[in-house]
Order: sequence, then C-alpha cells, then structure tokens
Amino acid sequence: MPYLYNTPEDQREMLAAIGAESVDDLFAPIPDDLKLGRALQLPAAMCELELDQHLRELASANQHAGNAVCFLGGGSYDHFVPAVCDVIGSRSEFYTSYTPYQAEASQGNLQAMFEYQSLITRLTGMEVSNSSLYDGASAAAEAVLMALHAGGKRTKIVAPASLHPEYRQTIATYLECIDAELVTLPCPAGVIDADELAAAVDGDTAAVLLQQPNFFGCVEDADRVAAVAKDAGALLISVFDPISLGILKRPGDYGANIAVAEGHTLGTPMSYGGPYLGIMACDQSLVRRMPGRIVGETTDRRGNKCFVLTLQTREQHIRRDKATSNVCSNQALFAVRAAAYLSQAGPQGLKETAELCLHKSRYLAEQLCASERFSMAFEAPTFKEFVIRDRDNDVAGLLQQARSAGYLAGLPLGGWYPELSDCLLIAVTEKRTKAEMDALVGVLAGSRHARLAAVD
Amino acid sequence: MRNTRDTQLLFVLSKPGRRAGRLPACDVPTADIAELLPTAAVADAPPALPEVTEPQIIRHFLNLSTQNMSVDTHFYPLGSCTMKYNPKRNERAAAMPGFADLHPLSPDAAVQGMLHVLYEMQQYLSEISGLPACSLQPAAGAHGEYAALLVAAAYFRDRGELEQRRRVLVPDNAHGTNPASAVMAGFDTVAVKTLPNGGVDMDDFRGKLDDRTAVLMITNPNTVGIFEPNMRVIADEVHAAGGLVYLDGANMNAILGITRPGDFGADMQHYNPHKTFSGPHGGGGPGAGPICVTDALAPYLPAPIVERVGSGSSVVGSQESEHNAAATNYPLPPTLYRLSYDRPKSIGRVRSFFGNVGVLLRAYCYIRTHGPDGLKRVSENAVLNANYLLSRVKHILPVPQGDRCMHEFVASGSKIKKEKGVAAMDIAKRLLDYGYHAPTVYFPLTVPEAIMVEPTETESKETLDAFAAALFRITEESPELLHEAPHSTPISRPDEVQAARSPCLCARWD
Repeated sequence: MPYLYNTPEDQREMLAAIGAESVDDLFAPIPDDLKLGRALQLPAAMCELELDQHLRELASANQHAGNAVCFLGGGSYDHFVPAVCDVIGSRSEFYTSYTPYQAEASQGNLQAMFEYQSLITRLTGMEVSNSSLYDGASAAAEAVLMALHAGGKRTKIVAPASLHPEYRQTIATYLECIDAELVTLPCPAGVIDADELAAAVDGDTAAVLLQQPNFFGCVEDADRVAAVAKDAGALLISVFDPISLGILKRPGDYGANIAVAEGHTLGTPMSYGGPYLGIMACDQSLVRRMPGRIVGETTDRRGNKCFVLTLQTREQHIRRDKATSNVCSNQALFAVRAAAYLSQAGPQGLKETAELCLHKSRYLAEQLCASERFSMAFEAPTFKEFVIRDRDNDVAGLLQQARSAGYLAGLPLGGWYPELSDCLLIAVTEKRTKAEMDALVGVLAGSRHARLAAVD
Repeated sequence: MRNTRDTQLLFVLSKPGRRAGRLPACDVPTADIAELLPTAAVADAPPALPEVTEPQIIRHFLNLSTQNMSVDTHFYPLGSCTMKYNPKRNERAAAMPGFADLHPLSPDAAVQGMLHVLYEMQQYLSEISGLPACSLQPAAGAHGEYAALLVAAAYFRDRGELEQRRRVLVPDNAHGTNPASAVMAGFDTVAVKTLPNGGVDMDDFRGKLDDRTAVLMITNPNTVGIFEPNMRVIADEVHAAGGLVYLDGANMNAILGITRPGDFGADMQHYNPHKTFSGPHGGGGPGAGPICVTDALAPYLPAPIVERVGSGSSVVGSQESEHNAAATNYPLPPTLYRLSYDRPKSIGRVRSFFGNVGVLLRAYCYIRTHGPDGLKRVSENAVLNANYLLSRVKHILPVPQGDRCMHEFVASGSKIKKEKGVAAMDIAKRLLDYGYHAPTVYFPLTVPEAIMVEPTETESKETLDAFAAALFRITEESPELLHEAPHSTPISRPDEVQAARSPCLCARWD
C-alpha cells in the first residue's frame, strides 16, 4: 500500500513491544460475532497510473465548462479562477493542516482567516464576519436560526419566491423540527412587491430574506425591502452575490442585519456543487449568536500581535447542547482562496468583472429577444442572469439542441416554478465572449428558423 | 528564513493604484451603468479592497503558510482528527477539468462520469458501513449528524411517535457536535455517564433509556479509543425500547473491513471522508458528511440520490465485471445514472446542490487505490501504530484506559500536574518546539488533563519512537521552561481572554 510504512520486521518489533501475538490480537476487544469475517465487496486496488486513466475516462464522459460553453447559473457560476488561487490553495501548509486550535502552530491559517474576515466586512459593508460556513444555502439557514434566537418569541420567517428555491428548501428543512414557520411570498413580477411584503410581515416576523440580485437575476429594491423589515422590527437577511458588489450597493449600505452568500465564485471552481464557501457577516450586536469559527487579534506573552480562534463559548466543542450551532468543520481552505481572489481583483478588478457580467448578459438578452421566439420573462433590471420565455414552449428541446452543439444554454425553471415551465434562466459571466453568445443565439433562435424552413 | 515584512496585513501592504488582475476589454456594446440599473441600487464606489500586485499576494500568503504546521511537513498526532497523509493523486484528480469545471445543475446526461463516481461512492460507503442506503449530501460530519437526526425525527413522525420520543441520549465523552446536532434537530439531550475506560456506564444508560428515547448517539470506537465493550447489548436495548442507534463515524479509521456499524447495531452513521478517506483538512475544512442508514430509514434521506437506471442489481458484488465494462464502454449511455428527486418522505435538502463532491471524489480515489485488502491494512496499521505508541507513552504518562487501544488513546497529565505543576497544555505547547503538532488536549472531558494521541497509519515506527522520546524529555524539563513553551514558534501563548473580552475581528483601517 502506497501510504503505509510498516515493514513485516517493523510489525514484529512493534507487536513485541506491545506484548501482542499478532495484529489480529489487537482487535480482540471486538467480539468475533461482530467481525465482518469476509473481505469488503469493493473493487480491487488500482495503482496510481490505473487510477489516473480510470478518472480521465470518467472525466471525459462529462460536459463541463472546459469542453462546452457554460451559461448555467442559479447559484453556481463559471467565473474565472486566477492562478494565484490555485497556487495558494495548493500550498501543503494550508491544505494539509487542521483547524487552528494550536495558535502557535497555525498563525498562517489564523492570519489568513482574519484577513478573509476583514475582506468580507469590506466587501459587504457589514461589521463582522465569521471565517466561513459550508455553502450559501446552509449559511442562509443558519442566518434564519440566528434571527429566530435574536427575535425572542417571533417565529415567522418571510422569504420571497425570488430567493433560490434550494435555499428555501434548505431553510424549510432546518425549520421542520423547531417551532417556526416559513412563509413564501409569491413574486409574479420576478421581484418582491413591497406592498405585498408589508402585508405578509408582522410583529411575529423574526426575519425577512432578500436575495440581491435575486434567483431570476433581477435587481430588487433593497431599500424598500429593508424599510418594510425594519418597520416590523424584523431582521433583514441579505443573500448577496459577491461579484455583484463590484457595482451594486453592499448589504451593509441598505441595512441588512445578516448577510450571507455563496462564495465559491471567489476563486473556487464549480466542482459539481461543492465544496463551496458559505459567507456570513452580521451586525456587531449579533456576533455572539453567530455560528462558526471566528478569528480575533490579540497579543502573545511577549507582547507580539497575533491571532487566535475566539468567542469559542458559542461553539459546540465548549458549549455542547447550548452552542449557537453544531457547526465544527468550515471551509477554511476556500476562505483562503477567497482572500487571494479578492486581493487579486482589488476594487477595480471586482468592478470591471461585475461590469463585464452586466454588459455581456444584457447583450445576450437583447440578441435573444431580437428573435420573435424569445422575450424577457420579467421587466425588472438584471445583473448577470436573466429569464427568457420561449414562445414555442419547448425548453427541453432547446436545451437538448444546444447541448449537442456544445452549449450548456441555461436552466429550465419548470421544476421549481410550474408557471415558468416555458422559461430558461441564463447566466453570463466575464468569461463569455461575444462570439460564444452570437453562436448561442444562432443555435437557440436559429433552431426555429431551421424548423420553419423545413416545414416550408 | 522568516519574512515578517511581507506577512503584514494585506491592508498595510496596499497602495492606491496597484493591481494584480487585468480583465479583457468588453467585446459587446456597453451603456452607462445609470441607464442599466436603478441609481438607488448602485454603489458610489467599489468595495475598499486592498490594492496589491500578484507577486505581493504570492509572497504574502506563502510566507504566511510557513507559519503553519501541516501533515505534509510535520507529525500531527491530533486525537480524534485522523491527520493522515493526503495523497497527491487525489488532488490531481479533483482538479481535472472534467470534474472541477462541472456545473451542479447540468443535465444528468451531461455528467454521467461524475454520477458514476457518486453512485459508486454510495455503494462503497454502504458496503463499508453495512447500512444499505446512503446520502452524500451533508457537508461535514456535524452536518451529517444533523441530517441523520432529522431523518430519525421524520421516521418517528411518520410512526406517530415523535411527540413521545423527544430524547437523544449522548455519552458524556462524545464529540460536542453530537448534543449540539440533537438540539438543532429539535430534541432534548440526556447525557449518559461513561466509565474510566470510556465505555458506557450500563446502569446509568439503563436508567435513562425508556420509551421517550428517540436516538442513542454513540461513537465506536469511542473517544478514548476503546471498542465499546457492550455495543451489541446497548444496541439491542435501544431497539427494544423502540429507539434508534446513531453511530458517530469519526473513528471509522480503526475498523475498515473489520467490523461494520450496521452489523454491530447502528441504524445510521455519518462518515468523515476528510478523516477516514484522506481528504485533506484544509485548515479546518472543507469536509464532507455522507450518511448511511438502514432500509427502514432510507425513504427519509435527503434528496437527490444517484440512481442507476435500468438495472436493479447493485454494482457492489459484481463490480469487477461492471468496472471493466465501464472502463471500456465510455462514453456511457446517456441515462445510466440520474439524480432522483422523487422521494416523497425525504426530509428535504440540508444544503444547495449535490454535496461536497470534491471531497467525495478524493475519497473515491482513496478507496479505489486501496481496494478491500488495502482498506483493512489501513485500519490494522492505524491500530498497530496507536498501540505501539501507547506502549512507549504509558511509561511516561499514565494511560488510564489500560494497555490496549484501537486507533487512538488518551494519556493523562494529572500525575505530572500534581507533582510538578505541569499542565497538559504545557506539554502540548512544548511538543511544538520539538517539531511535532500537539495532540488534542482536554478532550474528552472525562479524562483529567487529557492528552489524546492518534498517530494514524501513515507514520513510521521511527517517527513514533522519536515522538515518545521527545515526550519523555519534556517530562524531565523544568516546569518554568514548559510554562512558557513554545519557545521556537513565531508567537507563544496568545492571550485568549483578551481576544474574547474585547474582540478585534477584522483589520482596523482608515
């Protein structure tokens, strides 16, 4: 076995020192009738070369953003990952270390986490950040639990239909076994109707969720939503897109109390959905209710500035059943990658990335809507994603056709929103070129022309 | 050579006008932002991120990295964490564009190679656990605990027993995540006493088990590294009382191919693939927390699950022919695997998308590298190494549990504390000076001055000997020296009280 050291001679010496007859003897505490008594039914071992060939074969059976053109979004995006993220993320001292409980042996991780927290507060305009949670959806669910605890007797959570359906499903799961209710606000116009929201929110509402830009790519009126939440004494939880903050107002600017995000777009590839980066930042007043590890600055016995895990009395390893959350593992490695990404981008790079997403996605939307077949499903302005309606109501056929031409053209929405079964959600990142978009338009809009021509 | 100039905070290194990344010119017509977006939604300026160059970023983070101990650089005998070697072939695999650049909402037909890996992982984890149904969705061990407890709650709700079964029994030496997960899942926790050897106190357990019990959460081998002596009896009694047994799978590294949780009475378990199956720990994450359960609990698992279409037979059992066929027949037929969302009794989702696929892919590599015999060798050598180190250490520090252990053991510093005033923490900190990461200290809480050592199988006898020798020298050193240890690290003994009393959680600027 490639990773084991012990030679037969080592084993003999070690067993002698232990005073055991054999390795089997070491397992004597396990009663024989509980032992497996046969080999595991698993495939035989592969050497590195065989494994590599096997995996390349499997990988080549996938259509991915490298061999197809990806216009898929919905919470995971084909943004560019700069080389610095890979180099820093592949550094053994970062990726093969453990949680920095021993501060003296972990200042690298601790400072990187502290810098990540600092970068996130600057990115979001919020007062404090933790050092990461699992992903955007579970971060949103944790934010909801925080709001319920902070809200005392308030038990209602209001989420718009424009919040990512999987986030709403995750929140619903987290609320299933506790005394709380999730109310979904319909968004027929693709954005929150502030009057409808005001009618749904009351003195029992602990929090209002807002996704900005929302699941449909539309930009919400965050100021009005915030005002409605505030008037009712509810907390505002913002689910934001980190890249969008190159242009859009920050959650802290419009009064969010808790801001969460899917942060994989900051330097971590799509990887079929994980592992990702759950970002969470909040008001200072909520910090002791925040889940997850937090790094703080302090001094050591020689008076040197240094970093430690802090406010640990919130956490499960100290408080057990009284902890703010059960979260233990986080996504530290991707927080480091995000810190590298944000440093690499800088304010100007983030702004330009966001602008490219905006302009390119608008271009594609216009080109598609130039065809009689497509129209925008919603009027609200969009950032990098948009929903188009197919007047021929053949979303599945369109996607199939695009896929054979090498385009992952968009997400069908009918599974989540039956009323949008003739709609596609299309995302455009800074990576997409005019040529790719023109070709996609040719495939999608051209398919009808081709079919009509065939009928003629 | 230590470089402290470049490890100043990024905000200190920043200078207006510097930048690292450039973006392509926009190749489509542009319009004024004010025409495209409502003014109220647009920020006056982008976030005040640091302005630095690419060489600065690299020098900054690489110099920071050198202030960490890691498995690739040091022996890391951190009990309960299974800090084994992280194979490089696994890293390369996860970075292959055919896996790394996959969008999670791609149509199933576009990701058959990925779904093959995930389907196989469901099968492998079920085979290793002896529990036939698997969900790969949870993002970490604690997340798996939580998901499994929600599964248990759904099961009891379905049976009309949830109102009555409000209690989760948790031994007092369990990981803190266990009671925390139980509370999040809406249960009340009841601590069960354990004996000095770490085993469950049967009288206490029996006194607390009744028809209000929903679940017993048990770690086996337990947190002192002992196989629970009464495992089968405990499981039978929980089942007789109508409850379920949850296995905290953190310590699976001791029992791969030797015994299976499903065979010793567990109804559900999570895995920590970042421990047992060598996914790196990443400085605290990512991990993954797949769960396996009995057939009775299968309908409640999170959705989606990977299904194999058109064949009812399991791949496990006839996998050799299957795998050879799979290897020669790519590209796969378009619908061999699909994600099944049609699970009406499912608890729903516990996160977005499929799961921590990158971690699961590494675990797949690990399992395929080892095969059935190799996995058993892993556990045998993990247990051999731990017992060997115990045989060296017990002459230096008492090991209350006795002469034998599974994959880890817990020594006690209480004698040296009493005699010389040297605390477990002093010993841990001094080990850093000798070039070893500290063991876990003060856990489990049931052992005074606990020093929890898990060497793992990927260490040599020479390393274990040297570690024991260092430990011995430390016990001979002056208490004064030890109280101020470590002496060779960039910092020493941070003031944690100050950090918590007046928290400084982000860089102060401007």
